[in-house]
Amino acid sequence: MLSLILILLAATFFTGIIIRTKSIASGRKGPGIFQPLKDVMRLFRKGAVYSETSSFVFRIAPTIYFSSVFMAMLVVPFGASKGIISFNGDFIFFAYVLGLGKFFSIIGAMDTGSSFEGMGASREALYSMFAEPAFFILMGSLALMTGHTSFQEIFATLHLGSSITYALGVLAAFVFLMIAMIENSRMPIDDPKTHLELTMVHEVMILDNSGFDLGLILTAGYLKFAIYGAIIFDLFSGSISYGYAIPLFFVMQGFLAFVVGMIESFMARSRMNHNAQFIVVLSSVALLIFFGALLVSGKFI
Amino acid sequence: MIELINLSWILALLAVIVLLFVPVKYKATAAILAVVANAIVTSGLAIHALGGQPVSYVFAGGSIMGDILIRIDELSAWFILIINFTCVTGIFYGSGYLKAYDNSPKKLSMHWILFVLFQLSMVWVCMIQHGLMFLIAWEIMSLSSMMLVIFDANNPKTLKAGINYLVQMHISVVFLTIGFVWLYFQTGSFSFDAFTSYFGMNSNIWMFLVFFVGFGLKAGFIPFHSWLPHAHPAAPSHVSGVMSGVIVKLGIYGLFRVASYLRSDYLVLGEILMVVSVLTGLYGILNAAVHRDFKKMLAYCTIENIGIIGIGMGIGLVGLGNHLPVLYYLGFGGALLHVLNHSLFKSLLFYSAGSVYQQTHTRDMEKLGGLIKSMPRTAVLFLVGAIAIGGIPPFNGFISEFLIYSGLIEGIKFENMSQIILMVLTLAGLSVIGGLSILTFTKTFGTIFLGNQRQPLTHTPHEVSKLMLIPQYVIVVMMLSVAVFPQVYLQVIGHILSGFTKSVVIPQPVGFTDYSSIMRSISLYSLLFIGVIGVFWGMRAWVLRGKSQVVGATWGCGYTAPTSRIQYTGKSFSKSLGKMFNFIVIERKEYEELKPGEIFPTGKKYTSHYHDFFEFRFIHVITNRLIYSANYFTFFQNGRVQSYVLYGIVFIVAIFLLTIFNVVP
Repeated sequence: MLSLILILLAATFFTGIIIRTKSIASGRKGPGIFQPLKDVMRLFRKGAVYSETSSFVFRIAPTIYFSSVFMAMLVVPFGASKGIISFNGDFIFFAYVLGLGKFFSIIGAMDTGSSFEGMGASREALYSMFAEPAFFILMGSLALMTGHTSFQEIFATLHLGSSITYALGVLAAFVFLMIAMIENSRMPIDDPKTHLELTMVHEVMILDNSGFDLGLILTAGYLKFAIYGAIIFDLFSGSISYGYAIPLFFVMQGFLAFVVGMIESFMARSRMNHNAQFIVVLSSVALLIFFGALLVSGKFI
Repeated sequence: MIELINLSWILALLAVIVLLFVPVKYKATAAILAVVANAIVTSGLAIHALGGQPVSYVFAGGSIMGDILIRIDELSAWFILIINFTCVTGIFYGSGYLKAYDNSPKKLSMHWILFVLFQLSMVWVCMIQHGLMFLIAWEIMSLSSMMLVIFDANNPKTLKAGINYLVQMHISVVFLTIGFVWLYFQTGSFSFDAFTSYFGMNSNIWMFLVFFVGFGLKAGFIPFHSWLPHAHPAAPSHVSGVMSGVIVKLGIYGLFRVASYLRSDYLVLGEILMVVSVLTGLYGILNAAVHRDFKKMLAYCTIENIGIIGIGMGIGLVGLGNHLPVLYYLGFGGALLHVLNHSLFKSLLFYSAGSVYQQTHTRDMEKLGGLIKSMPRTAVLFLVGAIAIGGIPPFNGFISEFLIYSGLIEGIKFENMSQIILMVLTLAGLSVIGGLSILTFTKTFGTIFLGNQRQPLTHTPHEVSKLMLIPQYVIVVMMLSVAVFPQVYLQVIGHILSGFTKSVVIPQPVGFTDYSSIMRSISLYSLLFIGVIGVFWGMRAWVLRGKSQVVGATWGCGYTAPTSRIQYTGKSFSKSLGKMFNFIVIERKEYEELKPGEIFPTGKKYTSHYHDFFEFRFIHVITNRLIYSANYFTFFQNGRVQSYVLYGIVFIVAIFLLTIFNVVP
């Protein structure tokens, strides 16, 4: 329950901080950090325009996408306190629930019969497919290190004692951050600010969405960032008492948003055909963590 | 009770005779009656067996066969129920699907007779526990299914696919025969019980591998899969649904049966099975992603699911080898449940794809588009199947995949490093399979049902008849029952597995009962998920009420004359994936280059299609070599009667001489 409230709170400012960081880095003042939230509110008040090609799939897709992110949020714990949903192997549920959202956002894009939206859809499907093994190898290694198989138990028993485990923790944070970037279609995979349909990934998929539906999709994006931020926080939280953990959580989320903003400010987007290679590299980093976990647990012969 | 077993074959044979003579109007009804009656009889026995009392019966087989043991134990019962369910939905759907052929009664009576025999032989394959009789039933099954595949025999491609299937099934039979004859020479018995003594005394590896090749050919493990992508598209859709749903699973049944007698070498066999299965899964789904013939795509997807089932079996065997009952239950349990799940959603997908084919007469998804408007029910049914097959909650595919995933994660707790690595790599492989299946099915569903019609069709497609829709609804209800009450199915599976291994009895460990409660909570969470979707959908309706909702053209980037041809195609959807894996999915392009100095180019044609790696690189190479070397011996077949008489004489003289010199006893 705690994690749910904290993630919701973090989601309100995460994207705002990213945008603010980017603005300041590029020499502008930039909007306030709650501007994304205000944008969504404005969208919720608007009517909608639908493509004449589209069917009910297009109308229901944003709702299902948002619901899947919402369900995934319920699974994420906060330190030692459980998420609302918690069982052995809940991270599989986490990944597959997000899968349903992805499925619908892809077919929603294809429902418009556009020449661009299918392109974005196919890229999204491809990139998230490549990101899957990194996530699973990483969770497998954490399971190996701790001997537990649910998010909460893994994070509650994950003690970063030695220097190797700190290195592993940093690597794992890197992998999670990159997965978050891929899931949210951010740099270096995708540039949300691009203006050319041919080079978009996520943005092009939602070209035809408007009003409430677009608001839901944007909100889901904010939530996703906060969810992955919470997971990264959980990697390091261990058994800190709530008095320290909760402020630390917000500091960490803010810091992550700042990092994302800096990455977006100073990095160019990869070429489309290099994206897949980049994402596969994540899997190999995850494998590195796995071998580190073997070393730490003394099973490396 | 057990005497009912005779009713099964008597009914089927009666139906065969009746089907020959009834007027064409009633043929389908007669066939339905026969299949349903047979299903009721055998399912009754199977449910009895699942209740805890295996039923057995002995036929006197004379001096050649000896006593033929017929036994329905829990494992057979599970498969018999799956076969019967799929056959019944298949024949109802098929009777609607084949309505258009009422003017060719001969074809129809042949078809329905074969279908009845097909079901009979499949059910009996699961019951017979005697090597030779098993081979006979197996052969009837292969032959009848082959004849069912070539329903449209006037089409040379269909005929070729049928012959390909026939040949490959006989290679499978060769391996099975070798296995059973080997068993006979070692133990002096054809009964399956002889496995116990054989495996008790000898190395388990080679015998199992012989059966693995034999059954693997049926199941479609790589590199033995190459018949599936040919036979499934060629067959009428209800037949492909039943073939993909169950006949392929009988290969899995065979593997389960042999695995249940294993006594040692579990680890090696489990690891081999896991490696082959992961590769099978990846290979299958990768090919499924690139093909544009949607029935071929479904065939490759079957290969992928066989891989997932195989992973489960591999985990089970590794669990046996490590004396970890939890792993044994999770692995084999996941595999058994996935057999059921796959038979449900794959037959659903084949049926709905068949409805599309019946209405549009094309299997090429690039010619379709926007069918959700003219065939909304079929579209939703296909969508349900597509989500379920990706293993995505809230449908049933997730339940079995979750069991297999849990097995892999439990396996990470091993002490042995190589096994941990195998488990983690399999975990990664399975997740890639999941991701790719999302790509494959969004592509297929999007291209066929969404957007605009890509090419004008000769007929306007309409929604198919109720007779074809109702069986699909029944399948969906069945799928939901697995998703909502997984603990019920898990209990049955736990029961099957507790009596599964012949050498040792493995009681259900506490860990597995934990998983059964996890399953229950997953089903609740899936319902919660649906509830959450409902809540947000309601909120959307509430927010949107009274607001303007305008319908306009799709965003065209300023282009004002869009046509349906500029839509993104299925081919381009998976093109970047295909390019990345071009060493596995081999693309061949045929086109004519513009000649230098060709000032007024004429119309050109460009085609590209994907080849099957194993077929193209191995099987064709081998068969071409064979044909090439066989060419040297064509002089034997010279058409002169004199030479043929001479061959006969040479043979007789050779036999005579060899006997005289005691070379041949």
